[in-house]
Amino acid sequence: MFLRIEKGSAVPISRQISSQITALCLSEQLQPGDKLPSVRELARELAVNQNTILRVYEKLNAEGILDKRHGAGTYVADSPPLRQLKEQREHFYEEFQQLVRHGLSLGLSRKELQQMLEAALKSEADSVTAAT
Amino acid sequence: MSDVVLKVDRLNKSYGQQLVLKDLTFAVEEGQIVALLGRNGAGKTTTIRSLMGLIEPDSGEINLLGYSPQKDPIEIRKRIGYLAEDQQMYGWMTVIETIQFVSAFYDTWDHTLVQRLLQQFDLPIATKVKALSKGQNIRLGLLLALAHHPQMVIFDDPVLGLDPIMRKEFNRDMITHLQAENCTVLYSSHLLYEVEPIADIVMILHEGRILRQAPTEELKENVKRIIFSSGTAPLGNKKMRVIDAQQWEHQLALTVDNFQQIEPDLELRGIEHEVQDLSLDEIFEAYIIGRPELPFNHPEPVEA
Repeated sequence: MFLRIEKGSAVPISRQISSQITALCLSEQLQPGDKLPSVRELARELAVNQNTILRVYEKLNAEGILDKRHGAGTYVADSPPLRQLKEQREHFYEEFQQLVRHGLSLGLSRKELQQMLEAALKSEADSVTAAT
Repeated sequence: MSDVVLKVDRLNKSYGQQLVLKDLTFAVEEGQIVALLGRNGAGKTTTIRSLMGLIEPDSGEINLLGYSPQKDPIEIRKRIGYLAEDQQMYGWMTVIETIQFVSAFYDTWDHTLVQRLLQQFDLPIATKVKALSKGQNIRLGLLLALAHHPQMVIFDDPVLGLDPIMRKEFNRDMITHLQAENCTVLYSSHLLYEVEPIADIVMILHEGRILRQAPTEELKENVKRIIFSSGTAPLGNKKMRVIDAQQWEHQLALTVDNFQQIEPDLELRGIEHEVQDLSLDEIFEAYIIGRPELPFNHPEPVEA
């Protein structure tokens, strides 16, 4: 599990970690049933206070993203909160529409917008290939 | 609530005409990692040296693990792992000689732990102390501070002079060797972005007194900058605890330190505003040099 802590950011450390774990779960890079590192292990790896990691795990457990099994560790929940995923996707679609409207208002043609989307998808695919 | 292991009550200390500590008062609970933040000259080192019994305060009380550092400095030394700013050791001794020398002072010295730390810290035992790098020097100091199983450690600006990689290693050592053992930690620093991931509690020391002591994350959730555009009225300053106010032509920016408390009110009254999260550096700056007076020509605040 790769997490990145930005030091000196305005975003609190716990929020940085919880949003990255959530994103990993929603993008299925972390699969239901995957075991997460223990609080101590993750604290050590990230050089972050154990209580911060504990709070993140508890929050994500309460949100149904993670499943804290007593004495057996923390896992990605079997049934990830699909409602939340659906909401996030709807939110994304709204933002996307606004972006398209913005592009049109700048005088970009439909074709140019389509080309932009293609190019963005391609560079994303390339970077994924490069990373693996 | 855990047990209080350190209680400092109205400590005063002056050097000549200069008052360095002014009614300094704070408490630390068992197992916490507490960071003492302050500018140069804020009183960090004077505070720490008073705790170690190296300085006699003019007035006030310190209770550290049930002892007074001024009356029982030996008892304090037995129970506290201490790392001074710019720790001086004998340069002509080798690492192992230094360890043997220091171990003689402690009944609780753990030779097995020393062996483990020597390996983990990758310290060359036959090298003379004067030939160690800055990072190795601090790790030797850390080893000496930990080897007698202290109940609490006190570090004066331990990461001063360490490069970013060594700082991260040091932070990791604090988490794995101290927090994991439920050892209480009090340390001073002025590298706020290094403190934030590590400290349970931050204390902002300014001109010899604590301006704010709070859990690190709570501080981030409570100290926010709120932007009101021209024509909108902020809540009255009976409600908002403003620590910095800035005004531009069309905007009023108030940094408050009780955001969680006033947020429902802002929503309830439909006061238009934008909230900005702040970095620990910005929070520190707002406390230290912020000017809370509301500037002229601002909209009438809404009072209850």
